Amino acid sequence: MKPVSVVGLPLALAVCALVAVSAQQTPPAPTSPAGAGSQNRGPAAPTGPAKRLPNGKVDLSGVWQGGGPVGDIKLGLAKGETLPIRPEWQKIMDARQSKDDPEANCLPTGVPRRDPYPWRILQTDTHAFMLFEGNIHSYRQIFMDGRKHPADLDPTWYGHSIGWWEGDTMVVDTVGFNDLFWFDFIGTPHTEKLHTLERYTRTNLGTLVIETTVDDLGAYTRPFKITFTARLRPGEELMEYICNENNGYVKHITGPAKDF
Amino acid sequence: MRIRLVCVLVAMAAAAWTTPALAHHSFAAEYDANKPVTLKGTVSKVEWTNPHARFYVDVKDDKGTVTTWNLELASPNVLRRNGWTRTSLNVGDEVTVEGSWAKDGSKMANARVVKLADGRRVFAGSSGGDAPPPPPQ
Repeated sequence: MKPVSVVGLPLALAVCALVAVSAQQTPPAPTSPAGAGSQNRGPAAPTGPAKRLPNGKVDLSGVWQGGGPVGDIKLGLAKGETLPIRPEWQKIMDARQSKDDPEANCLPTGVPRRDPYPWRILQTDTHAFMLFEGNIHSYRQIFMDGRKHPADLDPTWYGHSIGWWEGDTMVVDTVGFNDLFWFDFIGTPHTEKLHTLERYTRTNLGTLVIETTVDDLGAYTRPFKITFTARLRPGEELMEYICNENNGYVKHITGPAKDF
Repeated sequence: MRIRLVCVLVAMAAAAWTTPALAHHSFAAEYDANKPVTLKGTVSKVEWTNPHARFYVDVKDDKGTVTTWNLELASPNVLRRNGWTRTSLNVGDEVTVEGSWAKDGSKMANARVVKLADGRRVFAGSSGGDAPPPPPQ
């Protein structure tokens, strides 16, 4: 099943009708059409030039949406490119069941997977943080102070991230991943050999292009590049989202992950 | 009866940007869009929680036997961003729910549209909006 795109409100059309309603006061009805349960409220993303921080670097801050694989990482490949997955790992992927998706079980999405909820970038002189509303409502920490990766890293869901600037692009180098998260709903796999190199470029005020090189010779025959674009959500704020508070229905999820 | 002008925002086909509107799991992994259900009954419980808001409807058959159905909505975060509030649905509301049945055949469905007894449609946002419309009748 292909992911269904949901349209944004900016080109919404108001359809009005005279309707007989009871005299009793009722709260206003929600205004989204059935099935369009997206998060697309608010104005369209602005298109002016990105701003700069006092230190001269591009200001990446803001509340964003998108920017990584959700349903299928292959959607981020360049036209004509295929996923260079090793045959034995394709078999592992094909056997994965939807109910075992860590994301469905309120475990982290890792890198570079995203969920459709807003997320915020916060920059300081020494760190950059990505605060995620959805998934496990947690953060990624990127060390921007010039340090190197430590020699002995415990494998973690988000890895150890160091970042630097190349012109107007923030580059994030991450190693030290565990192999427990999935790249997408269909269960695209990876090993602890995973090393990601992300390039964040704010092409205009409303657009953040995220190009990720996925380097994992454990599950893939060569590194590959994916590109996804995040859109600014002006006026939006992160809301709390505690996945574990009422997630008792995962047992009803059936079928292979690849059938998504 | 008063006459009131009711306006509904209808999203156009082209837009400034689109995003795949998916939940923390895929719709198709849990529900079958080709098995639409229409349930008429009384709301017995509302859970305004993540990752999915949920409500329970007691459906009475013609013999008077009551079956409680578990209806799944989008997360409160998504619902709020689409105009819902915690009190859009309340215990005791008489509702008609259109949705997609759970693949495992349990008394669970993903709610697409919720209609109140007074005719108001309360849109459900389903599992983040990726539920396709039911097959044509």
